[in-house]
Order: sequence, then C-alpha cells, then structure tokens
Amino acid sequence: MIEESGSRWAAGRKAAAVGRIAFRHQLAYKTDFAMRGFFLLFILFVFIQLWSAAYGGDYELVISGFTLKQIVWYLVFTEALTMAAPPLCSRIEEEVKNGDVAIRLIRPQSYVGYHFSVFASEALTRFAVHLLVGSAIAWPFVGPPAFGIGWLGLLALSVGALTVTFLLLMLVGLCAFWVEETSGLYFVLQKLQFTIGGMLLPIDLMPEWLQRICAWLPFQAALYYPAKMAVHFDAALLGRQLAIQIGWIVLLALAVSQMYRRGVTKLHVNGG
Amino acid sequence: MLALQTRKLGKSFRVKRKAAGLSGSFRALWKPTWETKEAVRGIDLDVRQGETVAFLGPNGAGKSTTIKMLTGILHPSYGEAEVLGLTPWKERERLAFRIGTVFGQKSQLWYHLPPIDTFELIGRIYELKRSDYGHRRDDLIERFELGPYLHTPVRKLSLGERMRCEIAASFLHRPQLLFMDEPTIGLDAVVKQRIRELIRERNREEGTTVFLTSHDAGDVESLCSRAVVIHHGGVLIDEPVERMKREVLSRKLVTLKLAEGFDAATLPDIEGACWESRGGNCRLAVDLKLTTIERVLGQLLGRVGFTDVNVEDPPLEEIIKHIYGMREGAER
Amino acid sequence: MSMGGKALANIRFVWTCWKLNLASAMEYRLSFLLLAGMMFVNNTIWLFFWGLFFNRFPIVQGWELHDVMMLWAVSTGGFGWAAMLFGNFSRIAGIVATGQLDVQLSQPRPVLLSVLVSRCSVTAAGDLLFGVAVYLMVGDTSLRGLLLFGLALLISGALFIAVMVLAGCSAFWIGHAEGMTQQLFQSFIALTTYPSDIFRGVVRLALFSLVPAGFISYMPIGLLRDFDPLFAAGAVGMACGLTVAAALLFRQGLRRYASGNAIAMRS
Repeated sequence: MIEESGSRWAAGRKAAAVGRIAFRHQLAYKTDFAMRGFFLLFILFVFIQLWSAAYGGDYELVISGFTLKQIVWYLVFTEALTMAAPPLCSRIEEEVKNGDVAIRLIRPQSYVGYHFSVFASEALTRFAVHLLVGSAIAWPFVGPPAFGIGWLGLLALSVGALTVTFLLLMLVGLCAFWVEETSGLYFVLQKLQFTIGGMLLPIDLMPEWLQRICAWLPFQAALYYPAKMAVHFDAALLGRQLAIQIGWIVLLALAVSQMYRRGVTKLHVNGG
Repeated sequence: MLALQTRKLGKSFRVKRKAAGLSGSFRALWKPTWETKEAVRGIDLDVRQGETVAFLGPNGAGKSTTIKMLTGILHPSYGEAEVLGLTPWKERERLAFRIGTVFGQKSQLWYHLPPIDTFELIGRIYELKRSDYGHRRDDLIERFELGPYLHTPVRKLSLGERMRCEIAASFLHRPQLLFMDEPTIGLDAVVKQRIRELIRERNREEGTTVFLTSHDAGDVESLCSRAVVIHHGGVLIDEPVERMKREVLSRKLVTLKLAEGFDAATLPDIEGACWESRGGNCRLAVDLKLTTIERVLGQLLGRVGFTDVNVEDPPLEEIIKHIYGMREGAER
Repeated sequence: MSMGGKALANIRFVWTCWKLNLASAMEYRLSFLLLAGMMFVNNTIWLFFWGLFFNRFPIVQGWELHDVMMLWAVSTGGFGWAAMLFGNFSRIAGIVATGQLDVQLSQPRPVLLSVLVSRCSVTAAGDLLFGVAVYLMVGDTSLRGLLLFGLALLISGALFIAVMVLAGCSAFWIGHAEGMTQQLFQSFIALTTYPSDIFRGVVRLALFSLVPAGFISYMPIGLLRDFDPLFAAGAVGMACGLTVAAALLFRQGLRRYASGNAIAMRS
C-alpha cells in the first residue's frame, strides 16, 4: 500500500534515518579512522616535501597559476575527497555474493537510493575529518588557508563531486550482477582518478593535449573542480562547473538506472 | 620402554584482569592486576612404546596445553617431561624429527596441489634420503589406497580422501610417536572405520605410539587401548578403555517427546533408569548394568504418551561429567 | 649433523617450497595473470604521473625522470623477488597473533625460514616483471650496469624483508600489532618510491637510520648513476645487519611465544 502523495516525504525520511544509522555505525570504527588519518598525514607530508623541492622552496613562484601554498592545499583537498569515499564496490560485490542483495530489493526503498544515503553520510563525515587532519599538516608548512570565499566554492562543488564519485563507483559495483570480481574494474577507475582526475597533479600543470582529454571525462568533476575552486575562487567558473557536474550526474544516473534495471532482471531470471 | 613420561607437569598463565567499564580500563592501565589461571596442574603420565592412548576431556580442560608442552611448543611452568628420551622444550628440533602431528581441523596438505607434491615437501622437511623416501612413499600409497587420486589437486578430493592422504603423510617420516587431534571429525561412519583400521595397522606393524584427542567415542573404542581423561587441568581417569567402557559407557539416553495433554509430572519410575529432565522433551538415563533397553521401552509403552523417541549414546562430555560426579560420589 | 649438511638440507627444503609455491600459483593461470598484470599497470600509471611531473619540472634536487624510473625499477624489482620467494615477510604479525607458528614449531626446520617461504605473493610477480622491464628499457644494459642493478635488487629486497620482519616481531610483545605494522608496511614501501633528496634535515637522517627506506631511494644516484663506494658499503652493511637483527629478534620472540600467556590460551 503505497500512498502517492506522502511517498516523497516518506522516501526522504527513510533516507535520513538510514543516514543517521550509518553515521553512528561509523563512530564504531575508530581504528579505521586513526589508520586513515595516519596515512593521510604521511602522504601529505611526502607530497609537501616533493612540491617544495619542485618549487625550490620559493613561495612567490607561480607555475600555471599555482603557488606552492596553493598546490599543497589543492592536494589536501583532493586527498580528503579521494579518501572520503567508502568502499562501495566491494560492499555491493559482497551483497551479491552472499545474497543480501535480495533482502535489499524486498525493502520498500530504492536500492540505489539506499546505498546513496549510506554513502552520503559516510562520505561527508570522512571528508570533514580528512579536511581537519590534512589541515593539521598543511598549516605548519605553508601557512593557513586564506582562500576566503574559496571555501564556499569547495563546499558547493564537493557535494556534486561526491555524487559523481558515487555514481561512478555504483557503475563498477553493479557489474557484480554480471561478473564475480569487480576489484579489477575498481582498480582501473581508481588509477584514472589519480591521473586524469587531477588527484596527484592539478590538470593545469598537465600538457595541453591531456588537458583537452580530461575535459571530456567525468573524473575531473569529481576531484579537480572543488579542489581548484577552493584555492582559486572564480565566481563565473563556479556556475559553469556546477552545471557540468549536474550534467554528468544526470548522464551517469541514467546509466546507473539502466544498468540496475538490467541487473535486477538478470537476478530475477537466474534466481540470484 | 617408555615413549612418554611426565612428572607433575604443570602450566599456569598470567592473565590481566580488567574490571568492567571505562574506570576499569583506566585502572588496568595504571595498576594492572594479574590473575593466575592454572591450565594444567601437575599431571603424571606414563605411556609405553606402541600404546594407543585416548586423551579426553571437555574443551578448556587443558588437553591442547598438555600436547603443546609435550611437543615442545610451550614451556611448562613446573614439572618434568621426557618424550622419546628427550626434554621437549629443550630439544624441540631433535624431537621434531621423531614425532608427527595430525590436526583434523588444520591440514598439512597444500590445497591447490596434488598430495604427491606435499609428500615431496615432507620428505624435504624431515631430510629423508631420496631412495628411502621413494620406497616409503610408495608403500604408504599402496597401504592407504591413494593411487587413484595421488595426482588430483587436494581441493577436488572428498573429506575422507583428504584425511587418508593427511594421515598417510604423517607416517612418511616414520615417527615413533604420533599426536592426533580429531582425525575423524566430519567424516561419515564408513570412512571413519577405514581410517581407524589404517591407524591400527600402522601401530601394529611399526609400533608407532599414538596419542589421540577426540570427541568421538567410536574413535576411543576402536582405536585406543588406554584412556586418559583430563578435567580442570588434572587427570581424572587413567585406565584401559575396556574398564572405562564397563564403568561408564554402559549408559544410554532415551529422549522422549511427550504427547500433547500428557502431564510430565506423572512420569513413572523406571527400574534401572532415572529421569534426567522432565518437560516437553524428557530424558531418561538408562544404566545397562541394571536393565536393558528392551525392558525400559516395554515399561514406557502404554504408561507414557509420546510422539517421538530417540535412543543414543551419551556424548563424551556427559560421560566425563558423569565420571566427575562418580569420582565425587566415590570420595564421599 | 654437520653445519654443511644442515645448510644443504635447508636449501633443499626451501627450493622445494619455492617449487610448490610456483606450482600452486600456476593452478589459477587466469587470476595469476590478472593480478600480476594489475600490479604492472598500477606501476606504469605511477610512471605516467612522474612523466607528467618531470615534464613540468625537468630537474628536482638533482633528480631527473630517468632517475625516478630507475628508482621504481629497483624498488618494485626488489619488492617483487622478496615477496615471491619469502612472501610471508609482511604477515609475521598476523601469523604470530593467531598462533599459526605452532605448525612450524612442530617441524625440524628453522621456524622463521619456514614461515617466510611458505607463501608466494602473486601480485609481486607483476612488480618484479615491471622492475626488470623498466630497467631493460631505459637502464644501462652493459655488464657493469646489469651487475649493479642486480646488486640493487638484492639490497632492496633484503631491506624490505628485514624491516618488515623486525616490525612484525612486535606482535610477540604487543597485542593488536597487525594494524600498526600494516601502516608501517605501506608507508615504508611508499617512501622507497620517492626521490630521497626531497627530504631534508631530521627526516633525511631518519630515512638512513630508523626507517632505512633512504638506502633504497638513494640507489639510483649512489649506486647506478654515480657509483659511491661508501654508500654501497653502507647499503650492503645495513641490509646484512638488519637481516641478522631480524633473525635474532625473531628467536627472542619465539622464546616468549613458547613461555605462553595470552597467545597460547588461544587453543
């Protein structure tokens, strides 16, 4: 018995409830956070050394529009975002392998929607924590982030960025309905993010031909946009980038729903 | 000739004690209180060469700890032991050449490879000479009938075939003393019988002393000449299996599922048996020295309304509890 | 039995273990190729990043793209052979904590050796292949160059094993050490893939003492490009010294393991 009028409210409330549970669940994994925090500190430290060496310790030098301070903070943001995504692919793979997926499909909530609520709550918490930890190491080396409205840009684009990441991970995860191991595909996705997404290197510092390729792919929308906007606020560009993010979200969401529908049919046909 | 001898062998562990809650955790960090747990309390054992001993006891009784001390993996807190003329924890490596181990739960065989490859590795572990290894291996393959699946990967073998390979492997280096932990676990009755026969055969022909841990009464009955029951870290019973059978294994449990409407309070007294539990499912412990199953069932029919009945051997744990109870009774 | 006889018996044992490990890995040819291939691709993408980086900054602290490629060749190559032949070096903590040493303890083989060779990492094959391939493509393939590369591989592999065994031994004394040693493991490997000269001061000192990753990450300069006998001697000495230290610490740990307590209660 689904009431048409109240269903949208109900869906929203359900999502919020799921999000709350996921948040509390997270607090239990303190050691996980500690280990990720340690790794984040370590990797940022190494990056800071590398880029300081590249810039020859010159804080005034500008390369492709980036000063050393901006590069370091850029990396803090990309790392914080990258590590914010929980292991969605392996979760879906697990669910398919041990049959939990059937339970989810019975519940009166969209499968993708459910995973999105969980993902969103986890990713936002993780992102916030990573930002704090990352700042703790960037601050003493290159100074405080004086980006003013840049923060707004970061926040505005982060939501879209994480959504794009979610959809990409969902696409890979849904492959579990067809293949046994999605870890290989996830691996490829991750590497693409590292390079073309702009995690290790701002896209502005890449050669022209590569920049043009990156512009046509969704990866830069998931990392490069929010991180660059934070260190280089540009109101005009903000509007355009938001639009591009929405564009990718719509496209990927369509792909995900198509894939999902086909996947569920396959499950029903094969008995899961 | 003694294969194994222990004098007041004991092991105690110091375990940190933590009170409940957060304040307890803080206290434990600041001033930890240690508790001593006695896993094995000064046991005396004498096992002759060629004997087959069943080492029994409920979980946590101290069986694994004792075996670990006898194989040299663990150092005792006090007492002495001599295994095949060597002190296990002092001469572990020398002793390792002469003993063997079989764990029912943990396999020595490499999962993705055929058993013959593991055999070769064992030859290398125990430094067997090439020619000697070859003959020994072929002999065991024949005796254990492993020919058909010697070259099949272990993962494709059934549990019974795997155990046969496992046990054959344990005999490769001609151990004088073999420790076996639950060797027939999970196997069906026919396979169990076959494996017990094979072990008995090795024991007869080569004089291998067998020290067996098992929760299966059948293992004990068909394989072992002597039973040592250990409980709370001490030896409870140490006598030939025949005698233990007569004293303790002469019990049977009859479980009845009472019919609806039949009042458990009106269960009659049965000669030679006593009710151990009365409820929807009631249990009758029958002493076969005093009566027979036939007579008991005859007395139940007509006087008790039931929808299902089961007659079985008491589990080993119960036997041991019963022994414990008996011991206490005898002491009084 | 004589010392020589013992050594020979151990060599035969280790050789048989290696044969069995390889055969085991070969059983699943497809996943073997996939996993090794994945590692190869992973390393290639890192070199792609370095290519982009050095495209922007041609020389950083005296390092060029060629040097970083050599660094990756040495690091992945060394790690590759170490993890293929002594695959359990990164899992000592877990093995100790879960009481899995009991099997090896009941056998007449040196326990540490037996534990190390009982596993072969399949992904590491991709690393080894990568390291060798990169060197053959852009490295000095003269006899001298190849010998130096071989030495570099030996030293880096030995350092990986020794450092990780030393860290893993902590599990003999501390509970729940697995998480910590895993972090150390990842960090150590990561450090060996960045040019040592980007680090200065105290950190640089630490890289050549406490966390000897510097000995690996300086090899493209100190060993391959401008052979420095002092550095070479230091690296060899460190590798040998740490290996001995690891073996000794493990033996100490075994004594504690055998005296019992929490670990033995887990029966």
